[in-house]
Amino acid sequence: MTIHQSISAAVAIAATDLKLLLRDKLDAFFTFVFPLIFAIFFGWVFGGAGGGETGKIELGIVQLDKSASATAFADDLAKLDGFAATRFDDEAAAKDKIRKGELVACVVIPEDFNAKFEGLFATGTGPTVRGYVDPSRRGEAGLLEGRLTELAFKGMTRTFTNTESMKKQLAKARESIEKSPETDPSRKFVFNTFLTGIEGLLADNARRAAQAPGSEGATTGGLGAGMENFRPVRIELEQLQQQRTGPTNSYEVSLPQGIVWGLMGCVTAFVGTLAVDRQRGTLVRLMCSPLSTSTIIAGKSLAGFVSCMAVQWLLIGVFAVAFKVRVPEPLMLLLATTCASLGFVGLMMFLAVMGRASDGSGGMGRAVVLVLAMIGGGTIPVFIMPKIMQTISGISPFSWAVRAVEGATWRSMSLTELLWPCGVLLAIGAVGFTLGAMMFRTHARTH
Amino acid sequence: MHVPGCNDSERAGSPDYLILNKPRRSHPSPHRPLPSPVLRLTDLRKSFGPIAAVDGVSLEVRRGEVFGLLGPNGAGKSTTISMAVGLLAPDSGSVDVNAQGSPTSHRVRAHIGVATQALAIYDQLTGFENLRMFGRLYGLSGSELARRVEHALELVGLLPRAKDIASTYSGGMKRRLNLAAALIHDPPLLLLDEPTAGVDPQSRNNILDTVRELARQGRTIIYTTHYMEEAQRLCDRVGIIDKGRLLCVGTVDELVRTHGGKSLVRVSRGEQEDAIETDDPLHTIESAIAKGRDTSQASLPITGIRIDRPDLESVFLSLTGRRLRD
Repeated sequence: MTIHQSISAAVAIAATDLKLLLRDKLDAFFTFVFPLIFAIFFGWVFGGAGGGETGKIELGIVQLDKSASATAFADDLAKLDGFAATRFDDEAAAKDKIRKGELVACVVIPEDFNAKFEGLFATGTGPTVRGYVDPSRRGEAGLLEGRLTELAFKGMTRTFTNTESMKKQLAKARESIEKSPETDPSRKFVFNTFLTGIEGLLADNARRAAQAPGSEGATTGGLGAGMENFRPVRIELEQLQQQRTGPTNSYEVSLPQGIVWGLMGCVTAFVGTLAVDRQRGTLVRLMCSPLSTSTIIAGKSLAGFVSCMAVQWLLIGVFAVAFKVRVPEPLMLLLATTCASLGFVGLMMFLAVMGRASDGSGGMGRAVVLVLAMIGGGTIPVFIMPKIMQTISGISPFSWAVRAVEGATWRSMSLTELLWPCGVLLAIGAVGFTLGAMMFRTHARTH
Repeated sequence: MHVPGCNDSERAGSPDYLILNKPRRSHPSPHRPLPSPVLRLTDLRKSFGPIAAVDGVSLEVRRGEVFGLLGPNGAGKSTTISMAVGLLAPDSGSVDVNAQGSPTSHRVRAHIGVATQALAIYDQLTGFENLRMFGRLYGLSGSELARRVEHALELVGLLPRAKDIASTYSGGMKRRLNLAAALIHDPPLLLLDEPTAGVDPQSRNNILDTVRELARQGRTIIYTTHYMEEAQRLCDRVGIIDKGRLLCVGTVDELVRTHGGKSLVRVSRGEQEDAIETDDPLHTIESAIAKGRDTSQASLPITGIRIDRPDLESVFLSLTGRRLRD
């Protein structure tokens, strides 16, 4: 057989195993559906354990100016749809929360907010609202910027449609012009005439507003429409480097748990598949074909690898989209899931050849894998286990898969840090695969 | 010893065994040399611990021949077949397939088709998917694979059910699919291990017809069965193996003549029956009739005569004994 034919045969074996997995309703359920249900259920049960309201963007508000306009702005900000706002007195505390990943962003309403706002007409410069954002949440940052602009305009409209507020603005403008030494008298005259005209217009608007049914009296009216394209508030967003130490929502914790159960489903399904192959005689047929044992092992392993990757990314995809689980570095997560899959392919191969009969290896495989999954973080997350259990969990390949996935998600490990759990997984895979393949070669020829 | 098979001119050039439905089975001319053996076992030995499962088996099976390998349970049939298909390496001795060498080589295994006693098919795949999968193991693809799959399904009468999941098939249909899977790559040598075990008469008939057709096309078939009358009907030659040793090899007639023992002539006179063992039943019957006519011997008139001739079962029991093999 040519190399191409061997690859084609290995792919055929893998495709068959995957087809069999999907057509076996029980195996398919425990491999793909159950982990999803489990992880969603536990994410829901532990909801809020990591802080923050699920499904909303966690926003901090620091109001340094206690004026009415600043308070109104902060109140509007707190009521924004899709945001869960928390107020802070201290800007540093809010920034710290972002660094820890507990807030997506925070908005600082500066001390001169009102003063700058009232002087807007005279100076042409409105207040500057500072914002700080988590760089991994750029989408939410963009949304926040848009909503802030909207709120600023709303505040501006509120000010300029208020006659008294507008009169104050005009008086400040008139005073500023009078005091300006650079402006010549003829220009001062023109400006004063213009401002008088505006005051007349304001008075007329106030009078009409007072006559209108349901009006709030003479304080409303102002200049009104025509201000839509004006941007009265400058928004400066700054990205803060993260220093996360914990998950920001409960689904970030339950995702690795789901992955544990998904990997467990894959292992038990494929251990069973190989055992059934042996019992049914399909393995004999494979061995009678012109394929080398390596090609058969490669086909079986490929099926296991694909199923492990599929279940992990199915969970990651669902949790990222539906539950806002962060994937700050997709390539790191790809590395983690690949290493986990390779590790578990080795485990599959080893367990599959341990028992000779379907019931033997299937039953034994399930028992071993269940224990390993439980101590590896399948039921209780490893990081909340007692210290002794955390140490014991080190013998479980599942706990290393959890560490790798957590490292690439909410733990935000560096590549160097991630190499440790990934390395352990690869070592488990290599040892399991080598032992399994050796035993497979021996057993297959002495069936 | 007669060995049916194709003539040499048919075998020249491209491997004509790839053409499934080409009629090739013909009697060789007495002036032509016998076809070369497709399977040659030479002093094959295999032990598992202290037990010698196969103990010096030598055998040649020629092109186009249907060879029956018979033996009680645990006689060494499966071990012999496992070595013949390359699943087991012999402790000593050699296996040669189609003059290509040992089947432990991947290349040589491409010349062998195996239908195991266990149903080596995937229950959750359709008949079509099963055959496609097994075809790809032999490097088949594209239109060639599609053609082979369709032909094999047609040959075993499963084409109308090709798209059905195999778990919905009857036992007989599964057996036929198992046979089709062994044929998918059109091998010159087929090893069929009890292909009719546990099937209904219709499926059994279909399988036997298929085997005959395959032999007619020139394939070499090693056939194991516990149904003696099946082997008697189907096999050109039969070998009986027990305790790892090949006890005898020959055509059914030869074996019956050599190992079947005497015929039994049963002569009934009313309630009385005489059983007479004889090598010449006709002479024995004539004697019995003459004796009946002899009025000096006041015997009862003959009411019935039956001849029990030895058959393959007699040969089998005579060589392997009547003791139970569990």
